Amino acid sequence: MSEDASPAECARDDQHCITCGDGASVMRVLELDRDTALCADLDDVVQPVAIDLVGEVAVGDELLVHAGVAIRGLGAPA
Amino acid sequence: MRYVDEFRDAGLGRVLAGEIAAAVEPGRRLKLMEICGGHTHSIYKYSLDDLLPDNVELVHGPGCPVCVIPMGRVDDGIALAHTEGLIFTCFGDMLRVPGSEQTLLDAKAEGADVRIVYSPLDALRIARENPGHEVLFFAIGFETTAPSTALTLRRAKAEGMTNFTCMCNHVTIVPPLRALLSSPDLRLDGFVGPGHVATVVGTRCFEFIPAEYGRPIVVSGFEPLDILQSILMLCRQLHEGRCEVENQYTRVVSADGNPLALAAMAEVFELRPHFEWRGLGTIAHSALGLCDAYREFDAERRFEVPGVSIADPRACQCGEVLKGVIKPWECRVFGTACTPEHAIGTCMVSPEGACAAYYNYGRIRRPKEAV
Repeated sequence: MSEDASPAECARDDQHCITCGDGASVMRVLELDRDTALCADLDDVVQPVAIDLVGEVAVGDELLVHAGVAIRGLGAPA
Repeated sequence: MRYVDEFRDAGLGRVLAGEIAAAVEPGRRLKLMEICGGHTHSIYKYSLDDLLPDNVELVHGPGCPVCVIPMGRVDDGIALAHTEGLIFTCFGDMLRVPGSEQTLLDAKAEGADVRIVYSPLDALRIARENPGHEVLFFAIGFETTAPSTALTLRRAKAEGMTNFTCMCNHVTIVPPLRALLSSPDLRLDGFVGPGHVATVVGTRCFEFIPAEYGRPIVVSGFEPLDILQSILMLCRQLHEGRCEVENQYTRVVSADGNPLALAAMAEVFELRPHFEWRGLGTIAHSALGLCDAYREFDAERRFEVPGVSIADPRACQCGEVLKGVIKPWECRVFGTACTPEHAIGTCMVSPEGACAAYYNYGRIRRPKEAV
């Protein structure tokens, strides 16, 4: 993430503020590094995501992410 | 599965709208509240209310964290932002929320070091990179966001950070719902429940709504078809005389929520005895503060916070909008003195606010029938 996130980063989903509201994004795990996963969203924007709160995660899994933290593991995509 | 295209199919949406119309008894009017600001946003963005029959009305609830923060807390935050040498971090929506005299954006223009972050973890990183500065994270949000703050504070403690604090404004969903359900000027037939709050807290915590207040609730996802299906499930419950918690968002939400997230919150936070909500007044045990084990990270203990309670501007009717008593366009300053560019009330600031959502997506149309 940039040092000072732009409003656009807070509102990736077409002006819908995913951090301030009850929003969350589905992201795919690309790499794992201890308590952090490098994840891509549906538009292939890549960012680090904390995975401390979702138990076991594997590369290729999908996560529900809010404010840079995974709040639910969704497993491998169907 | 992209969870997007599959849930935005216009043809299926029309089929669901037809089923909703068929599920409502002729002559009966239903008033349903979507609790969450994210749902309000989707409803306006996709014009879902236009698909509904005339006798199904959606009322927009208090589930936008920016919209419910009282002016006094905003002023407290702005006062801290002006602290010499302090880096103030917050989510983007907070910047334009009006305090009694200025916004955080105004404070930034005057020289305060106010920075937008996407995650509280970004605020912690800024603290690591600026050991000579105090870094404060202004935390807002319901139970969807509170785990990310809890996790960040856990990491800050584990790392022994001494220059990182949090001004905690996290709120909880159940107490304001009880306040709404107990309000004598409100008539609601059912609720569309907050899907991502429920991801953390589980559907079980909403069982008091049917059990104690005799209203059904369907926990819903956020795509257009999710919301329409949830409305259909509510209409069917009402038609069949059932009154239950149902889960439309089964691909994400479970009955018990996320135990790891709940454990992190329980470790870091404690319930405040009371907290002021914009438009709803003071509600007991409705917000989270940092518990004693995390007191060194509590901005309200480390810094002098004015803590002044300030009444909302008289012209602003956000409180009535948040309770669903009036629609956004019925507020006396909607779209004239109060616009997203120059907001008087918080409901016009956040994209999740009912007024901003209506202003941005639906202001040209007017409802088929006034409330």
